[in-house]
Amino acid sequence: MGQAGLTRRDFLRLTMMSPLAGAWVPTWGRKEGQTDPSESKVVLIRHPEVVDDRKKVNSQVFQAMLDEAVAALFGTKEPLDAWKLIIKPTDIVGIKTNVWSYLPTGPEVEQAIKRRLLDCGVPEERIGIDDRGVLRNPIFKQATALINARPARTHYWSGMGGCLKNLITFVPNPSVYHPDTCADLALLWNNPLIKGKVKLNILLMLTPLFHGVGPHHYSEQYVWPYRGIIVGQDPVAVDSTGVRILQAKRREHFGEDRPLQPPAHHIIYAETRHHLGVADPSRIKLIKLGWQEGELI
Amino acid sequence: MGKKVAGCFRVMGAKISAAKKMSQKRPLISICLLYLSYIIIFSGFSGAWMAAFSEQEQKEKIIGELASFLPPAIEGWRPQAPDELYTPETIFNYIDGAGEVYRSYGFRWLLVRRYEKEGQASIIVDFFVLGRSEDAFGVFTHDLEGERVAIGQDGLYKGGWLAFWKDKYYVSIYADQETPELKKAILSLGQAIARSIPQEGKRPALLDWLPASVDRNRVHYFHTLPILNYHFFVMTDNWLELNETTEVALCRWEKTGGAKTRLLIISYPEESIAQKAFRQFLRNYLPEADEAGLARLEDGFWTGAKVEGRLVIIVFEAASPEEVESLIGQVIEKVRREAVFKMS
Repeated sequence: MGQAGLTRRDFLRLTMMSPLAGAWVPTWGRKEGQTDPSESKVVLIRHPEVVDDRKKVNSQVFQAMLDEAVAALFGTKEPLDAWKLIIKPTDIVGIKTNVWSYLPTGPEVEQAIKRRLLDCGVPEERIGIDDRGVLRNPIFKQATALINARPARTHYWSGMGGCLKNLITFVPNPSVYHPDTCADLALLWNNPLIKGKVKLNILLMLTPLFHGVGPHHYSEQYVWPYRGIIVGQDPVAVDSTGVRILQAKRREHFGEDRPLQPPAHHIIYAETRHHLGVADPSRIKLIKLGWQEGELI
Repeated sequence: MGKKVAGCFRVMGAKISAAKKMSQKRPLISICLLYLSYIIIFSGFSGAWMAAFSEQEQKEKIIGELASFLPPAIEGWRPQAPDELYTPETIFNYIDGAGEVYRSYGFRWLLVRRYEKEGQASIIVDFFVLGRSEDAFGVFTHDLEGERVAIGQDGLYKGGWLAFWKDKYYVSIYADQETPELKKAILSLGQAIARSIPQEGKRPALLDWLPASVDRNRVHYFHTLPILNYHFFVMTDNWLELNETTEVALCRWEKTGGAKTRLLIISYPEESIAQKAFRQFLRNYLPEADEAGLARLEDGFWTGAKVEGRLVIIVFEAASPEEVESLIGQVIEKVRREAVFKMS
């Protein structure tokens, strides 16, 4: 095993240890017999009617899914009670969306989140929705709470575009995080505009992109209607769960194991180097709700 | 500009006279300082203005030159907006992190043109200018999915995306969906652009050393570690000392029984760097390798490495040690034969 980083052999050893686990995280760094008490909770919910054949989102179904997922995440009976655990009426809240033209977050998702923020008593003038303009947006510059929401997709350089990566627009020069295919993306979460403020991560698995071609990395043939969302407070656990679904879809589509290119090792390092959250699927408590057909994990 | 300078001097002269009249007792040195400050400020302003003007002129000149390779229209598609020009510093504004791939090949310019046709998807042409034809070939090998088409020196088409290279140019033509009409337009556009590039360029010399059994249509050519790991994850630490001065070829064979043998050939600028990389690789990746540089790994397959002059040659996941030695041996034989040929 290498002194510092990962090698291919680390993954070979993991595969030999647990070939059917579907795990993709080497468990190095832990001594034999040592258990790690840290665990993260993530909710995956799916509904067959949340998107139609033209990928249009059904707002009502989506709202209901979000409500049920958030309630399950926080263990409350009523969704609003769950939201009120993380949002106060005095908060200034930024909804960090994603405007990538091929697969944006979308207004139905943004409005569903906003609705619940208003229900929590946050005045509308203290709620902002933005992506690339966050550094110029006074709401985001003064935010006391952030809701991080974007679609899951493969990414040309980081392997996966998920909740960890979604906050990259909070830095004026995102390319500083590019080295080693974005290995240390988790450091972004130390940014004072972000640190401690993300109350909820929502990874949209409604119509994820599981493979890309060319410099624009988008092709309709590699988008499929999974019709799900993953929610969690731990962005690492949320992304780790999303990656497992993408990898499972790739396995299903290509008929062989086709790892992400490049590998989304920034998610692993978010745990092992930067201790931002839990990437190891064996320590993610995954609650699955709703429609089960084509679940993949 | 001469009139502006003269005018400025007249203004300054008037100001100086006024200053003298106002106070005969004002020290001469303060008047000189005032005079000098006007000169400095004006020079700086005019210098910046000139530089900005030159930069804009240069940009327009480059756009004009590159645009000459692209047809004004194709099958009813026409550009509706100005062409865009990107550099290695600004490419992230266009394609985000994907820009790192093209930067790793040292691209110089990227011209982007969108062709539009009513009722149809846009067609986006990304026209890359590399420093050498070898790097245009390399960019092409980054994504080898699709069916081969006879456009440029090598061309691939898949689901609304055409990519080809010719001379030092790499061209990507893309629509986010595919219809028969779009496909026809994309291929016609590609053929028109390829025809406009007057000459062909060389492929990397490294390819001459590949074993005969290599499928040349599946070889990746690149320089840096992130690109190696993109195609075949080996290691996160750069023990192989890969950078823009190294040339790398990665080949693969898919066999029955689950084996996917990879051959990695790395050419370094100097023998000493090759030796260092070889030692580091053995120490950190294959510490249990025998004297022949071979080891059987956790998955039951064999990996081996050798250094030959400026080359490091590594075989991953072979079915047997004999296969490792055979592949490495074939490369070394070709290298030595070429060296003998050159000497004679």
